[in-house]
Amino acid sequence: MKGTGETIGRDLGRMLQALAGLVFVSLIVPVAWGEYYAVPALVVSGAIPLALGRILTSAFRDASDPGKLHGMMIAASGWLCIAAFGSLPFLLVAWMVELSPAAMHTPAQTATLAAFTDPLNALFESMSGFTGTGLTMTGNEEALPRTLQWWRTLSEWVGGVGVIVLTTAILARPGSGSLTLYESEARSEKIHPSIVSTVRTIWWIFILFTFVSILLLWTVGMPIWDAINHGMTGLATGGFSVTDGSIAAYDSAAIELALIPVMLLGSIAFPIHYLILRGDLKNLYTDLQTRWVIVHVGTGALVLCGFLYSSGTYESASGVLRYGVFQFVSAATCTGFQTAVDATNVALGQWPAHAQLTMVLGMVIGAAAGSTAGGIKLIRVATLMKGVQHRVSDVFYPATAVRRVKINGRRLGEEAAAREFEEAAIIGFLWFVFLGAGIFVLLLVLPPGGYTLQNVIFEVASAQGNVGLSTGITGPDSLPRPGKAMFLFNMWIGRLEIVPVLVTLRAILVRGGMYR
Amino acid sequence: MNPGRFPPIGTFLEFGPEDPVFGLLLLAGPAVVALIAASGRTPLTLGITAGYVVFFFSYVLYRGTR
Repeated sequence: MKGTGETIGRDLGRMLQALAGLVFVSLIVPVAWGEYYAVPALVVSGAIPLALGRILTSAFRDASDPGKLHGMMIAASGWLCIAAFGSLPFLLVAWMVELSPAAMHTPAQTATLAAFTDPLNALFESMSGFTGTGLTMTGNEEALPRTLQWWRTLSEWVGGVGVIVLTTAILARPGSGSLTLYESEARSEKIHPSIVSTVRTIWWIFILFTFVSILLLWTVGMPIWDAINHGMTGLATGGFSVTDGSIAAYDSAAIELALIPVMLLGSIAFPIHYLILRGDLKNLYTDLQTRWVIVHVGTGALVLCGFLYSSGTYESASGVLRYGVFQFVSAATCTGFQTAVDATNVALGQWPAHAQLTMVLGMVIGAAAGSTAGGIKLIRVATLMKGVQHRVSDVFYPATAVRRVKINGRRLGEEAAAREFEEAAIIGFLWFVFLGAGIFVLLLVLPPGGYTLQNVIFEVASAQGNVGLSTGITGPDSLPRPGKAMFLFNMWIGRLEIVPVLVTLRAILVRGGMYR
Repeated sequence: MNPGRFPPIGTFLEFGPEDPVFGLLLLAGPAVVALIAASGRTPLTLGITAGYVVFFFSYVLYRGTR
């Protein structure tokens, strides 16, 4: 265990240093916007993980390369640490304004910012950001200092691709167990033989797409600051907004239309983007997951629009199409931008039960593995369906027949196919177990009669699928503390696809003598 | 002057889809964002930005169909 601790410590140290770098880069925002009172808070927020990271990497410099167990424990504990230390800017800026030291010229405290003086709310916001969820403890995003608006955006942008992917791109050396870490962060696709080249290419594509998204949003009428933030969170399928009421605040069909391709870009796997940029456009329909993204989003949006139309939720067919399509794309890509709010139309929580549950299905399935989206992932759903088909049709073949299964262009023998079916079934099963646990906790802690069952299912699926759409349950005052703690867990396991977190918890319990 | 010879940019350009046009778009992206942040919404900035976006998607299609 000593060697394990050293390896984990060294890699945690690297992740913390990467986080510190992000905080220090963000110093440009308070300086540019004249929010000088936020500078000391950011400096301290960066200095703490930097110091701790340097201590860990120096102390465990000679630790061995991570194996599979290490990789999973580093991913699980690393994401938890990143969320914890990433909450410091929220906490410290909120307390700076709360205490209002004379020399700092702080603005008046707002209820929105005051919510972050509670460390649990700050941690929730940070975890929601880094996991790309987008559920928020913010009452009114517009009341936040630009510094915190930016920090929320940056956390989602980095978290969308992955903290380990970032660390590997910047700090890791080739052949130092980077592949193990890369795979433990719910990624497996490789673009190049070298994992460092792969993650750098992923970042390359992501940055290019970010600029395209920002400029597209600005072109259709979004102000530049909003376009920067929404371009980053939209592509990362995160969903944090800088406006009160998310995208509904603009009430602009052009902006909503422009955001649909941005969210879809984020829901397609990076290796496919790479091939498309290389001129191989046919991957849009030959790649199983990309094909399924289009079918899943198209069919789901159509069904949802049908439900909204038949239930008379909106008066016009154009309203049904506008809000139905945008909301389903937002749900299925796990982005969480919201246009269905009471201020301009009908809020999600007021939609009929079957419409809300259609959205839940979209959020649970999610989009492509290897993208920035959450959920169970389309490849697993496809694998499970193949598995069911294989098992049912097996009865019609002689016992001696040698059968192969084709999944996404790969021909698998019986043993390999069984392994793929098992992996997909286990993750699918665990996903529903923790979805059920979240629903149970929420039903227990929410005030009776406050929310419907479909509202609760929707909210938990949104947290665990790292989506961020809300029926109104999540908020600093509306969600009780046990509910916040449960959602923290749901978001954490949802981002890492559950198994690394369970492995880490098991290792901790075994170490503590609580489990044999 | 070849921006790829500037070490950090050169290293970064090594990892894309190895196409100089996408490399140029990537390098031009921050410049265009800075321009519109400084100048605001004018016919010129709108033209440049729209041109950037249209060129990007057109070039992807061109590469895929040629």
